[in-house]
Amino acid sequence: MKAWLLRFRQLNPVLLASMVGLCVLGVLFVYSACSVREDPELRLLYMRHAEVAVAGLVAYLLCAWCNYRSLLKGIWPFYAATVGLLVLVPFIGEETMGARRWLFGIQPSELAKLAVILALAWLYGRRGARRGPAAFFLTLVIVGVPGLLILLQPDLGTAMVLVPTTLAMLYAANVAPRLYWTSVAAGVAVAAAVLGAVYAAERVEMPQERRETLLRATGLRRHQLNRLQVFLFPDKDLHGRGYNRRQSEIAVGSGGTWGKGYLKGEQYLLGYLPPSVSSNDFIFAVLAEEAGFAGSLTVLLLFLGLLWPGLWVAYRCQDDMGRLFCVGVVALIFSHMFINIAMTIGIMPITGLPLPFISYGRTFMLTLMVALGLVQSVSIHGREAETRF
Amino acid sequence: MLALAVAAGEAFLASSLRRVQVAESAAFARDQLRQSVRRVQMPGPRGRIFDRNGLCLADNRPSYCIAYYVEELRQRGPWIRTIDAVDADIDRLAGVLGVPRQLSRASVSNHVLFSLPMPLLAWRDVGQETLARWAEAQESFPGVDVYVQPERAYPQGTLAAHVVGYVRRDRPLPLPGERFHFYLPEMFGTNGVERQYNALLTGHSGGQLIRVDARGYKHAVWEGDPAVAGRDLYLTLDANVQRALERALKGWRGAGVVLDPRNGEVLALASSPAYDPNDFVPSISAGQWRRLLSDEALPLVNRAIQGRYAPGSTFKPVTAIAALLRPGFDPEETYPCEGVFVLGTMRLRCWNTYGHGPVALRKGIEQSCNSYFCHLGQTVGYEAICEQARLLGLGQKTGLDLPSENAGLLPDAAQKERSGGGRWRPGDTCHLAIGQGQLLTTPLQMAALTAAFANGGTLVRPFLARYERQPEKVRELGWPTQALARVREGMRDVAALGTGRRVQVRGVEVAAKTGTAEYDSGGVRRKNTWVTAFAPFAQPSVAVAIVVENGESGGLTVAPMVREVLVAALGEAPPVPGEASPVTEPLPLGGD
Repeated sequence: MKAWLLRFRQLNPVLLASMVGLCVLGVLFVYSACSVREDPELRLLYMRHAEVAVAGLVAYLLCAWCNYRSLLKGIWPFYAATVGLLVLVPFIGEETMGARRWLFGIQPSELAKLAVILALAWLYGRRGARRGPAAFFLTLVIVGVPGLLILLQPDLGTAMVLVPTTLAMLYAANVAPRLYWTSVAAGVAVAAAVLGAVYAAERVEMPQERRETLLRATGLRRHQLNRLQVFLFPDKDLHGRGYNRRQSEIAVGSGGTWGKGYLKGEQYLLGYLPPSVSSNDFIFAVLAEEAGFAGSLTVLLLFLGLLWPGLWVAYRCQDDMGRLFCVGVVALIFSHMFINIAMTIGIMPITGLPLPFISYGRTFMLTLMVALGLVQSVSIHGREAETRF
Repeated sequence: MLALAVAAGEAFLASSLRRVQVAESAAFARDQLRQSVRRVQMPGPRGRIFDRNGLCLADNRPSYCIAYYVEELRQRGPWIRTIDAVDADIDRLAGVLGVPRQLSRASVSNHVLFSLPMPLLAWRDVGQETLARWAEAQESFPGVDVYVQPERAYPQGTLAAHVVGYVRRDRPLPLPGERFHFYLPEMFGTNGVERQYNALLTGHSGGQLIRVDARGYKHAVWEGDPAVAGRDLYLTLDANVQRALERALKGWRGAGVVLDPRNGEVLALASSPAYDPNDFVPSISAGQWRRLLSDEALPLVNRAIQGRYAPGSTFKPVTAIAALLRPGFDPEETYPCEGVFVLGTMRLRCWNTYGHGPVALRKGIEQSCNSYFCHLGQTVGYEAICEQARLLGLGQKTGLDLPSENAGLLPDAAQKERSGGGRWRPGDTCHLAIGQGQLLTTPLQMAALTAAFANGGTLVRPFLARYERQPEKVRELGWPTQALARVREGMRDVAALGTGRRVQVRGVEVAAKTGTAEYDSGGVRRKNTWVTAFAPFAQPSVAVAIVVENGESGGLTVAPMVREVLVAALGEAPPVPGEASPVTEPLPLGGD
């Protein structure tokens, strides 16, 4: 008994408390967002969310008490299995809204996020790892294979979120600095070019065929272009393509400082915020409307309670593998949080990225809790000398 | 570096959220209200219309409608399912009630798509029997209920139809920029005083705020401002006189106007044939409307203010006064009527083929001698006659408070040349002098003209709304008393001895002028027959002008009509054998 308690005392309390806090908020607001659904199963979505949170907590503790070093040795089979699932998705996956993302009730693309982080952590974290241009290109392959498969689903958001995560890890590992910064500059240039093309297609006078050609040259699909157009010209099509963005902005804005009160959010209650997105991608709009700026700030602080200790654990870790892994998880969570909240208030294009722990999404939630459990493990075991490994 | 990036990201999000949720929160809250709250207009009951004695001419009655509250029949999935469900339910209910459908599928779908929170009126204005059937079947029709709305009713039927007008129900136009707001159909006055005083009768619409969800279903109702009833309108009409006038005109095509010459109040104004304004409630059927429009008797036209008729001999008092105003004119000077007036190559027959012999002014009026008036016309010239006619308001709208009044036509040299008729000839002067030729007047104008001779030379503006308008003098004509008296005496002789003897009312001294204006209608000679009259002679309180299309003559056809109107307005003394005492005081207003 005493040993058990001791084990709990090993855990980083801020990391655990922030995560549990976010999960509680998640259950509360998934309940609120789904309370207006007519389908009784959908009305009980918050129960599913809570179940996953509890299961995730168990997985979290198990991961925390294992030594991450021994777990990381088994990374490649996990990586290979994930890629295998991703390959299967286009053939036997379930199709919803024009995309195939599900396989056997899970989203392999969410697992891929963890797989990539683990693979990169192993790649640069093992002793004597090389960090030259060759390693950089190997990284491209490790990230690129699942990334491309996810892009094909299509799920641009999830594929794109791999980019900042990878960049953060490469930066932390100090891999081929010149090549790294060149690629970053090139990436920024490409992004700017795409945005510029969409902007020009809208604003510059040109014949219709040339406009089509220009848009096709960006290599983006129709709905992805639409989202960029909505982002660049938010007022253009408020009742069509720009509807979700507009309604989520109204929800957040009308919440005010203290919010309208729990279960009193009018935007989802009256259906202006479509119920199909209010429980997952746009859950933050529900929360911000009901809990106001105070609630939003609480969410930001809770995330800070994950990110800051995460970086602290990375800093304190004795070996590169643990450090890189923590950096990767922190970057992943940060990217999700930033992109999701920013798109809710219209300062980022709309991408289907969930808000960690709060949005309903079981695979992603479980994946993240396992990842954070491993961060706890790094926190517990990372300060031990590597010689024992 | 990474810690910095995380901190910067968090700070950026926090400041953006602060901007949206604190700084600009009010604007977003307003946007949300704008998209989810709709203002629904609730029309106030329309004001009623009364005659001068308080008889109700236009009232409101409750109209029972069978209404669908579509949101209670809402179906999952696309709209078309809800439309189908409502459509099928209407068919089912039609079978139970035993009444044919009033709504097409298109209007059901229109309602579902554009006015969802409003009741859908499937049957409007249903009878007691249908309501009883409904009460029995009610249980098996959820989402259907009886909806009561005020509907216009005209309890007097065709009485004063052209004055009262009628209403039409229509969806009011949304205010600019209010694309998503809903209104119940409102009543609009489409003709008569219903149209003229529409703003007054309509009153202020109330509003109700309805909160709707993203699909347009009603979510909650917030109290709004209550509807305020429209104001009642009191007319100068006297239903008794009006009824007498309409009865007299019945079976003829024609019109009549009765004025109070002292102040311009319209006591009666009728056009025959008339229509029943109740046919327009709740809405006129297409067939009925087509029948009204294609009827060649033109029941929808208000002849009293829109009919253009040559006044014929009823114009002669104007010629007479123009002559009397001319310095050096001797009213006692006679002119020998030989039954025909010869002017160059033109021969103008007097109605008395054998001639009236020597005629002076007073006899000229009494006998309505064309030769004498042609001679007068040549003597004073057309400018003087035109001048008086213009001062008496011919060729201009009188300004009566009814829509679509016609100005008639007062010809002069300039007008004749403009319309391509060539130079003004002496023959035109001759025609003008006896009220023929190009001259066109409305019965209302002739009534106002007669009122000016009755009241001592003041042209008054006729009006219908008793409290919305004030009596108004258009102008004082400034006629010398002597001149006016000669014309009035001439007119009294017409009623006492001359062509207008049939207007006589026991106990009332009447002055009148008859007229028969010939016109060519498709090669057939037709006659418009006129009588203008005022009474009592000494202190007139009634001035009448009646025209009948295709009558026998003014004296035969119209004079009895005028008599009936005068009897209704002034009353008639009981017959006293062997004695006819002139009564100068008006008798109390009598009944029919």
